[in-house]
Order: sequence, then C-alpha cells, then structure tokens
Amino acid sequence: MLPCARRGRKTDKMAEQPEKADIIVGIPSYNNADTIGHVVRAVDAGLTKYFPGKKAVIVNSDGGSSDGTPEAVRSATVDHDTFLISHPAYPVNRISMPYNGIPGKGSAFRAIFQKAVDMQAEACCVVDSDLRSITPEWIELLLTPVAKKGFDFVAPFYSRHKFDGTITNSIVYPMTRALYGKRIRQPIGGEFAFSGALAEFYLKQDVWNTQVARFGIDIWMTTEAVANSFKVCQTFLGAKIHDPKDPASSLSDMLVQVVTTLFDLTEKHSGAWMGVKGSADVPTFGFRYHVGLEPVKVNVEKMLDVFRIGVKELSGIWTDVLGPGDFKEVESISAVPGASFRFPSGLWTRVIYDYATAYYRKKMSSEHLIKSLVPLYLGRTASFVMEVEDKDHDGAEAEIEKLCLEFEDKKSYLINNWR
Amino acid sequence: MENFFELLWQPFRDFWAGLVGFIPNFLAMLIIIAAGFFVAWVVKAVLSKAFSALSFDAWCDRAGLTAMARKANVWSKPSDIMLKVVYWFLAVVFAMIGLTALRLQAIDSLTMQFFTYLPRAFSALLILIIGYVITGFVSRAVLIAAVNAGYRYAKLLAEAVRMLLIVLILAMALEQLQVAPGIVVAAFSIIFGGIVISLAIAFGAGGIEAARKVIEKSSEEKKESDRDIEHL
Repeated sequence: MLPCARRGRKTDKMAEQPEKADIIVGIPSYNNADTIGHVVRAVDAGLTKYFPGKKAVIVNSDGGSSDGTPEAVRSATVDHDTFLISHPAYPVNRISMPYNGIPGKGSAFRAIFQKAVDMQAEACCVVDSDLRSITPEWIELLLTPVAKKGFDFVAPFYSRHKFDGTITNSIVYPMTRALYGKRIRQPIGGEFAFSGALAEFYLKQDVWNTQVARFGIDIWMTTEAVANSFKVCQTFLGAKIHDPKDPASSLSDMLVQVVTTLFDLTEKHSGAWMGVKGSADVPTFGFRYHVGLEPVKVNVEKMLDVFRIGVKELSGIWTDVLGPGDFKEVESISAVPGASFRFPSGLWTRVIYDYATAYYRKKMSSEHLIKSLVPLYLGRTASFVMEVEDKDHDGAEAEIEKLCLEFEDKKSYLINNWR
Repeated sequence: MENFFELLWQPFRDFWAGLVGFIPNFLAMLIIIAAGFFVAWVVKAVLSKAFSALSFDAWCDRAGLTAMARKANVWSKPSDIMLKVVYWFLAVVFAMIGLTALRLQAIDSLTMQFFTYLPRAFSALLILIIGYVITGFVSRAVLIAAVNAGYRYAKLLAEAVRMLLIVLILAMALEQLQVAPGIVVAAFSIIFGGIVISLAIAFGAGGIEAARKVIEKSSEEKKESDRDIEHL
C-alpha cells in the first residue's frame, strides 16, 4: 500500500523530513496566515497531479510570523479524491522553518536554496505566499521546463493591468532586455523555477548582506541566470492576483532595493553586456490569453506634483547626474500643464542610463542617488498612464515595446559614458 | 676701587657667560628646526609617492571628498592638501621642540601648553570634518525624502536642518577647544531650545489648522494608496 493511501489520502503533511527530494517548492512568508493555506493547497495539488512519480517537498521559509502562518501551512488539507484518478507514489512533505539573516524575501529564498542543495533537488520553484490566483497548473507550468525540458531558469509571464508593474515596465524590463539581449517580460515577477545546479550557484554568491536579501532578489536571480549563460525561458501563468503590498514598504524603498541591485549587476556584468546588440525572444511556455482585471486607480496629479517639486528642489542633484542639457529638457517638460504632459521615451532612456553611470561612478551615496530618481520615475509613470489611458492592453504593450527599442538604440550612449 | 671695577665688569661677564651658554642652545634650536623641515620634506616626498601609487585623488573623488572641498571653495588636489597639512604639522611640531632647546621658562611653558592643547585641537578638527560630512549627508537625505513626500519647501527644510547641525557641530568643536565653554553651552542651549520652542508654538498654536490639514491629507492619502497601482 502506498504511503498516501495509508493516510486516507487527506494528506497530513508535516511528516518526517526526507533526506532527498526531486522537487522543492519554496514559499517565503511573513504574516500570511490568511492566504498561505490556499497557496499550499494549490502547490500540493499541482505536485500530486503533475509530478506523481517525484519526491516533492514544500518548504515554507518564514520571517517570524506572529499570526500563525506556519500552523496554516501545516493544517492546509487537500482532498486528492476530487481531482486524482490514481494515487501518487509519494506524499508531498511540508517543512516550515524560520530563516536567518536580514529580514526580507531574499533571505527567505536563501534558506530555500540551501534546502534544495541539501536535498539534492533536480527542480525547484518559489511562489509568493499572498497569491490568490495560484492554481495547481502554475506548478506544472513553472516546473515542467526545468524537470522535463532541461531549462535552468523559468521566469513568470503574467497578464497584468496596463498600469501595474511600472518599475518593471519603465526600468527593469527595458534595461535588462537592452543589456543582456533576452526578452524576459517579467524579470521581477515573484514566481520562478530553477534547476538544482542554479540553486547551488545562487547559494555560493556572496550577496546576502546586500539589497538582494530584500526585494532585490528577483532581478538578481533573473540577471545572474542570464548573464551566466544558464538556459532560460518564461512561462505564461495568467493573471496574478495577490494581497495588497504592505503599506510600510514605500515606493522609494522598493525602488532603492530593485534599482540598486539592477545597477550593481550592471557593474558586475559589464563584460557580459557591452558586446550584446539588439534582443531576442526567449522560449515561452503556456497558453497565452488576456484576462479582465480589476480597474486600478491612479492619482496622476499627485505624481506630477511630486515630479514638479523635484524639478524645483532637486535641480542641483539632477544637473549633476543628468548634465545641464538633459536637466533643461526635464525642466521644460515640467512646465507643460496637465493632460498634455509627456515624458519622452528618449529622455527617459537617457535618464536611466545617466543614473546607471552616476551609480557606477559613485557620484553620491547610492541610496540618495536612487531615491532622487523617484520624482523622475513618477513623472514618467504619469506620462505613461495618460498616454495609454484610452488604449487597450495591446496598445499599452506596444508603448512598452517602443520604450524597449529606445533602450536598445541608445545602448551606445550608456557604453560611451561608462568607459 | 677694585671692587668698583669688579662691579662694572660683572654684568658683562655674566652676559658673556650667559651668551656662551645660550649660543649652543640657540644652535641646537636652529638644528632641530632645520631637521624638522628636512623630516617634513622627506615625509612629504614619501607620502606623495604613496598617494600617487594608491590613486588617492581618485579615491577622494569617489568618496565625495573632492566635491566637499570644492563646496568649501578649496580647489587644490586632495593629495596636495594632505601633503601640505602633514608638512606644516611636522614643521610646527619640530619648531616647538626646537624652542624648548632654548631652555627659557616662558617658552617652555608655552611649548607645554601647545603640546597639551594639540589633542584638543586635533579632536576639534576631527569633529568639524566629520560634522561637515554628516551635515551634508543628513541635509541631502532630508531634501530628497521631503521632495518624495511631496513637500513644497523641501530645500528650505533641508537648509534649516543643515543650519541646526552646523550650530551643533560648531558648539561641540568650541567646547572641545575650551573656548569660553560656559558661554558656548549656554548660547547653544538658548539657540537650539529657542528654535524647538518656536516650532512647537508655530505648529501647536499658530498652525493648528495647517497641522490638521497635513494630518488629514496624509490619512486620506493612506486610504487612497490602498487602491493605487502596483509599482513592482
């Protein structure tokens, strides 16, 4: 009789930890008791349904939750009878453990990488604990390219509201694509799959006391995989719906964590990106479709207000970073009123490249430098929102594509300033 | 009569004896001072080579020290400034040591005072340098944070913070130098306390309406931000 069947098929899941596992699914968490049960059930069902012959472990890497998140992981039950015809060969084990180090998503991932290496896992994936739209199919879509097709890294590809993911759309995606020549649409998506070899590579890197330990982990994983020639692909997961982010995580903190990591990696891998020209698609798995999404409220006036205050009050810093010519252009667009305001793609591209160069040349404290980018970013975001307000999803994507091409065209500007 | 001539000659003899006794001391002083300049010159030459090998100027550029010097209207290269400081510090120290060779009580006590004051002067200089760096850093952090929070008078706020810190640092440096310490502490307490009380009165009494608006605006923004776009 199989172990699962012996337990009456309603899996009780904090069984003894196995020494080895074929697949590991990591779930970082911090006070996610309300949502993590659903995530664990979806993962358990996905592993049981799509990888029945594999030894799989769900690893919850918790940041010291006080709301009973680890208990929610243990108590989440799955009735396999409702979706399985035959019983799986192995039960899905669950481990809930606290992580050490700087509190943040990156430190939680590090503990998961360690577990993957210790258990000699072939394929691993990580999913957020606040997901509401995760289904068992996500596990198949994420893990199949690694477990069955020989890929080392799988990035997620979601259907998102045209106004969402603005740091991704205006900075991270265009810059990563222009630098490394790979069109990974959601380089900081949150859900990833990776091979055991890549987990071992990640674990060996000495980055765990930097911004990588926090929100910088996503762009770091993607860039390291691409820059070190691991086999990468992306997989379409549908819509990503999750709990609203912690209001305490402010925009400038997120921007600092993500952009600092992006610029650190740009410096580290300058040898890898200098010679890359243009960009190419990466293999994409999953059935692509567009879903209707909740409307998003955007306060354009407030964004423009901060941008204009920045032009007036941060003129010294911006002139130093952008140069007098580009600062004058920024100053002139700030005078354009309301709905006619536009932040041109060409200027925005030069702004980001100038900031990357200023970061590389250590013109000032890195935190101050990136935080001084916030008003410019808000100006660009306000411009994008007004530009695509009347356009559909594809129209918004076309605008992002134009920006990406601008980043690729102006790459020589970055290279010339860098040298 | 002999006694009279003796009385006349005695001062000259004493002067001569004093002069004969003083000349070696004077020569010793000149030699020590000259040796001081020579040692200072050698140290300067060695340091110059070391700075050049270590790319000291480039390091200062990266660390923002050059920009800091420019703001203070100092346009020499950081390595030149350091070399001059070291050179003249050694020269002055040797000069003070040389002066003690004269074995004059007044100069001895002056030299003693100089050497006992040196650590205080050094500490005060250190307070000023570190204070200058911290002041610049903090006021820039305030400026950027205030702009990102949407405050219109961010520069004014940052300048106010800078002024407060400068007052604090100057008071600390003067206190370290023991320049009228009682007056310095009293003046600092009056100025700093006065500013804080003025702000409290302005915001607490005169600006009740303004304070209410700020608090209401921030709570409204918090409610709105729950439905705002996701940046990541």
